Amino acid sequence: MTRTAESGMLVGAAGLAAFGVTLVLLAGGETIDSRIGLTFAVMLAAFGAVHMAIRRWAASASTIILPPAALLTAIGLAEIHRLDPVRAGLQQWWLLIASALTVALLLFLHRRGTATIRRYRYLYLAAGLVLLLLPLLPSAGPLPLRGFEVNGSRLWLLVDLGLAEIRFQPGEIVKLLMVLFLAGYLAERQSALAERPRKLGPFEFPEPRQLFPVVAVWAVSLLVLVVQRDLGASALLFGAFIGMIYAATGRPAYLVIGALLTGAAGYAAYNLFDHVGRRVLAWIQPFQNYEDAGYQVAQAWFGMGTGSLAGSGIGLGRPDLIPNAATDFIFAAVAEELGFAGSLAVLAAFALLIGVGFGIALRSRDRFRKLTAAGLTWVLGLQAFLIIGGVLRLVPLTGITLPFMSYGGSSLVGNFLLLGLLARVSHEEPA
Amino acid sequence: MNRPTRRLAAGILIAFALLGLMTTWVQVVAADTYRLDPRNARFNLTQVGKERGLIVTADGQVVARSDPDPGTTGSFIRSYPTGPIFANVVGYSSLLFGEQGLERAYSTELRSRRDLTISDLLSVILGSDLRPLNLQMTLHDSLQRIAFEALGSQAGAVVALEPSTGAVLAMVSTPSYDPNLLVGPDAAAQWQALLTDPRRPLAQRATRELYPPGSTFKTVVSAAAIDSDYATPETMFPDEASFPLPGSTATIENASGGPCSNGVTTNLLSAFVRSCNTTFARLAVELGAETIGSVAERTGFNRDLPFNWTVVESVFPVGVLNDDDAALAQSGIGERDVRATPLQMALVAAAVANQGIVMSPYLVASTFDADGNEVQATEPAEFDSAFSLDTSQVLAQMMERVVTEGTGRQAAVPGVRVAGKTGTATGVEGRPHAWFIGFAPVEAPTIAIAVLVEAAGESASGGGVAAPIAQTVISGWLNR
Repeated sequence: MTRTAESGMLVGAAGLAAFGVTLVLLAGGETIDSRIGLTFAVMLAAFGAVHMAIRRWAASASTIILPPAALLTAIGLAEIHRLDPVRAGLQQWWLLIASALTVALLLFLHRRGTATIRRYRYLYLAAGLVLLLLPLLPSAGPLPLRGFEVNGSRLWLLVDLGLAEIRFQPGEIVKLLMVLFLAGYLAERQSALAERPRKLGPFEFPEPRQLFPVVAVWAVSLLVLVVQRDLGASALLFGAFIGMIYAATGRPAYLVIGALLTGAAGYAAYNLFDHVGRRVLAWIQPFQNYEDAGYQVAQAWFGMGTGSLAGSGIGLGRPDLIPNAATDFIFAAVAEELGFAGSLAVLAAFALLIGVGFGIALRSRDRFRKLTAAGLTWVLGLQAFLIIGGVLRLVPLTGITLPFMSYGGSSLVGNFLLLGLLARVSHEEPA
Repeated sequence: MNRPTRRLAAGILIAFALLGLMTTWVQVVAADTYRLDPRNARFNLTQVGKERGLIVTADGQVVARSDPDPGTTGSFIRSYPTGPIFANVVGYSSLLFGEQGLERAYSTELRSRRDLTISDLLSVILGSDLRPLNLQMTLHDSLQRIAFEALGSQAGAVVALEPSTGAVLAMVSTPSYDPNLLVGPDAAAQWQALLTDPRRPLAQRATRELYPPGSTFKTVVSAAAIDSDYATPETMFPDEASFPLPGSTATIENASGGPCSNGVTTNLLSAFVRSCNTTFARLAVELGAETIGSVAERTGFNRDLPFNWTVVESVFPVGVLNDDDAALAQSGIGERDVRATPLQMALVAAAVANQGIVMSPYLVASTFDADGNEVQATEPAEFDSAFSLDTSQVLAQMMERVVTEGTGRQAAVPGVRVAGKTGTATGVEGRPHAWFIGFAPVEAPTIAIAVLVEAAGESASGGGVAAPIAQTVISGWLNR
């Protein structure tokens, strides 16, 4: 696909977002106003800027990275507009900020190359840990940085700029830093981690000393789970780590160990924490616990079932009955209003993006870039799977954002930067 | 190193395929389960402001209609012109509280099909009518009003049936409520008030509340005795002042405290007319639970009655009573383990009136379209045969004597042969439930009735409280 075709698809996605907003306005009995043009302009500006930056500074990058992301962003933006016009306005600002940061990242990588990134891997580890811990800062104090809780999870950071406050979830950036650190670390240590001198029955295990990082990351994930009460970030961090260490070593033993540790942590959390117990209840028996823990999932299923094949039409359903429809449950809202057709479109767009990302990884000759591309794609795919799977009751509900679609600035920024990194790796390892 | 990466890719893509399967399940395969879940308000929400069909009585009174909303063009507000009188039959259709009564049972027919869906568009192209259907009930406004006013401020129920078809002529439950309040602006507060009202106005006493039927159940016991050839009206029984409960020191006594007749012997007819407890306690034990239960079940006890909504099952627990003669003796006079809805007791009376045949009760005669053309009419259906024609004729004579010379004299209508049976059952805090079941005219019955007054006054009896209400309703029906 040519760059020109790519730009055409981005214009199409901007048009789709504007069309979605038009339908929402019409369905609400409102008059058509400037918000339609604004949506179109913002989408065009955001994706256009990244597109131009790729043209200029990463010209050999795959052309199929941006279009599926633009499609998901467009559907998400229209649905957020339908659920909460005020938030849709904020989301557009975040879209522009995310785009600007991604352009800056592409320029930086153009100057220095991804090899620079590899050099500072321990810096990312440190930065990642600091960012993870920042929300634990006191919520009232003289510092311009404060942590605070939303819905019982302490994973928010408030940056007080004096004039304005910016609320941010550092976890969305931590996952990128984590991938970059692991790519650097594993590219170096791969052979040691792949050794398997220990045998236990039919299983082969690496040297215990090599397992130290596995246990360390597991411990950090547990810390996130226990202290910040954030099931989603915890599962995502640990899942990302296990996936990448497997990609680097090819040892299924890591998957087994990862599954066992996840199971053990999950079982303990289920017994120790009320909020985890509620999540499990909502997962297994949402309809029996409709009045309480199961309400959100049950409402999502009512909505999706009512949407059926073709959906109610955007603006004509009642996804507003689902608590947190604009964030964690955006998939259910889209499924209700755009129907089975819309659900499949979203799943297909993610699958395409994942396929392209892994394709970049498979074609990379450099080990660091290969792990970076695989890790980024894996994290993106895992995050989308965890939250959609939570809504569809394939896995327990973890409460993370759906990349590109959920309302939330941190998520948009994180995933846009992810696209930028993927594009750069793709540029450095052209097909 | 590409092999594990490829496997990771395959893993996540398989996971996404599973998501695809899962959404296929939720949105395609099992979509209707979730769409139609009663807790899913979405469907009701789409019906807000839509036109719904009319519900009219057999004599042409509109009891539910949709009026154009003066505030919004093309929008409608549901209204119930008869207010509380038909509330337990018609129910309500509310955004907040769902649907009840016929509004619920006929929701599909009553709703407008103008939903702007593709299938609707196709229907229009194919020439079908999307306007809502209307209901013609079997109930008569005139009779319903008479029954409603006769119950007055007392809590209770009246069910009147046409014995030959099962068509319900009147069905009242008091205290009632005004369904208009549940569609008005103050609906939530009104709903709370109704829910917390100790008089329980939302209870559907005619079909969804159980009461001990008291002596009206002697009709079933007599039917069992006669139908099984165990006794005739002339069969003699000892006339005891009290009947000792088998295996117990407790006794059953007559309402008078003494014997029923001469203190030596009495026959079945006389015991029935005077409602002797000792005789029927003895008879129940002699007949056995199986024999009584068999007749009871053929009138509808222990069974799901076919009706426009789920009727609470009336109970005569044969299994329990088989092993417990004391309980059986008490159950023989409609106490202890026997429970019945007023609708069930009306069916007992209707069985006697209709030569032993029980017809399935129903509320809606037909549905008709916006142009007044009938779409579907309800065909009367036989539910079961409770007892023989001969038994029914003997029972009818016995029940007529109750009204001419027995406990049911206050149900008598001048110039009409009325048959009936009274009942005074254990109620609440010393205030008994007063019952009357019956039918008229005996030679060619056009109405069968059950009257229940819940927790009537302290010295109240079926003959004193329920029979006069039956009298009012029967004479109102025959003189309409």
